Amino acid sequence: MILSAKHLKKTYIDSDQTIEVLTDACLDVAAGDLICITGKSGSGKSTMLHIMGLLDAPDSGELIMGGKAIEAKSPEAPMIRNRDLGFVFQFHYLIEDLTSTENVALPLLIAGHSEAKAMARAQELLSILGLSERLRRYPNQLSGGEQQRVSLARALANSPKLVLADEPTGNLDPTHSKEVWDLILSLNKGEFKQTFVIVTHDVEAAQAADQVFELVNGILIPA
Amino acid sequence: MDKLELFFVKRYLKTPKRNLFRFAFVFMVLGIILSVGILSAGLNLFQGYESNLKSLLLDSFAHIGIQSSYGDLISEQDTETIINQLSQKTEIISAIPSLEHPLLGQKGDKIRAISLRAYDFDREFPYQKYISGGEGKLQSGEVIVGHYLAEELGLSIGDSIELNYPRFDRITPLGIQTAQHRYKIAAIYRSGYYESDRSLVISTLSDARALLLLPQGYSKLELRIKDADKAGIFASEYSDILGHEFIAIPWNLYAESLLRLVAMEKWLIFIVFSFLVLIAGINVISAVSTIIIEKRSEIAVLKTLGASPRSIKRLFALRVGVVAIMAVLIGQVFGALLSWFVEKQTFYHLKGDVYFIDTLGARITFPNLLVVFLVASFLIFLCVMFPLKQIEKMQIIDVIRNKH
Repeated sequence: MILSAKHLKKTYIDSDQTIEVLTDACLDVAAGDLICITGKSGSGKSTMLHIMGLLDAPDSGELIMGGKAIEAKSPEAPMIRNRDLGFVFQFHYLIEDLTSTENVALPLLIAGHSEAKAMARAQELLSILGLSERLRRYPNQLSGGEQQRVSLARALANSPKLVLADEPTGNLDPTHSKEVWDLILSLNKGEFKQTFVIVTHDVEAAQAADQVFELVNGILIPA
Repeated sequence: MDKLELFFVKRYLKTPKRNLFRFAFVFMVLGIILSVGILSAGLNLFQGYESNLKSLLLDSFAHIGIQSSYGDLISEQDTETIINQLSQKTEIISAIPSLEHPLLGQKGDKIRAISLRAYDFDREFPYQKYISGGEGKLQSGEVIVGHYLAEELGLSIGDSIELNYPRFDRITPLGIQTAQHRYKIAAIYRSGYYESDRSLVISTLSDARALLLLPQGYSKLELRIKDADKAGIFASEYSDILGHEFIAIPWNLYAESLLRLVAMEKWLIFIVFSFLVLIAGINVISAVSTIIIEKRSEIAVLKTLGASPRSIKRLFALRVGVVAIMAVLIGQVFGALLSWFVEKQTFYHLKGDVYFIDTLGARITFPNLLVVFLVASFLIFLCVMFPLKQIEKMQIIDVIRNKH
């Protein structure tokens, strides 16, 4: 098992009102899985993903990775996020002042790789994702679909055990949306065998996943 | 500097227009340039003042004066003996005997206290370079007069001045008997050192002796040495060589406190002007805070990708730092130009009676450039680091949620 989320609970306090987002969310992610989490807006899908990505801490429950409990506030969390996890968000979150290649090279540079090695790996990934013509382009010179593909390449840079994607097509038109979904499927089923956990409200697209869960009342239910 | 920081620094320098020239930096850069410019100019001008004053003091007076320990004149024979005794001292550039006496200078009803200095013009005259008008070689009956003294008494070359020597040894029922002689002004002396220019009258030895009723002898032997800063050490050595009858007095015995005061003023001005850099630092704090707000997503992404807050702080510090350092360097160039302008302008002159010298001069030295650079950089560094604390407190999840 790559990652196990056990009995996650998370509440928010919003102007005197306590909102229970996750009550007892459990999820096991194995290597090569493509898992989709669906649910209504505000059901806590993104919160679940953020907790799994060590970006947020649960009120209770635990995350197990490689047999060890991991925590968002632990000193090891940044290293785990860098080496074992990849992130794709609804908004691409690319750094505007860096080219596509430089954006993709960032996780490698953070991991301590040399600039030459990082840039070579970034170019290789961008070429695999069909962006070999866009290596020197800045994010504002790319289409929405291209930006999201660069973001995906960045998530894959350090060959992470798991890529967490939060509404990766939420901001794209249907054509670009299909393009990104196809790419995710090919990365999962092809030679990469990349493991994904994807949060989406697109139930139809989610059907392509191996496992689909719906988050209802803070609990993940197989859909 | 880790790989990420090195990468970003290279990136900033490779494409400065995209990464460094931002609107948020405009007022920060202007503030630094102005404050560092004023700080540099202030220090350059004070350094120039200090150097000019010291140089004029050294040029206007002997570096070491050898006098009789008992206040008597030194005989010509003793003078020659002293010169022979010190002839092996390679640090001595010149040894010139002189006669010096306070007198009264008069032109019509205007009277001023003067200092008469007499030299043997067949030997060597040490102030040739300060002769601004007329001949520097005097004949009998001629004198050289200080520029301001000439102005105060309304004298010019060719006019005559009356020198009065009150004979305190000849007090009569009618008052103090005064020896009077009239001399023709052959040249004007202008060193820039106000005290000399206002009181000095230079004559030949024979004329001075005739006026002062002295048959022979000198009041001191003026020594000029290669390194005037070592005058104290050499003076003590010469006093030992010459024995108890003579004493060697270094120039700094009289002028050291004045120079120390000027040096202290220079550093006081430096400290006061350093506050200007701190005020410019407020713009730096504002610029850094703006850029942090502007780059919240970038910070969140870097944190998400595993960069440590410390590393991100250093990235931002480097980004602002590169701009700030460039601004400091430009400020130093601006300061040099400002001090050059102040030196060259003609509409303001120093009041010699207040500031000892009457010309403004700037001097740029490497140690001063380094001090300004280090102090300004340190103050700006503090102002950069202060708002960067926000990066540590910034939560990734808050940025991502707000974007949704």
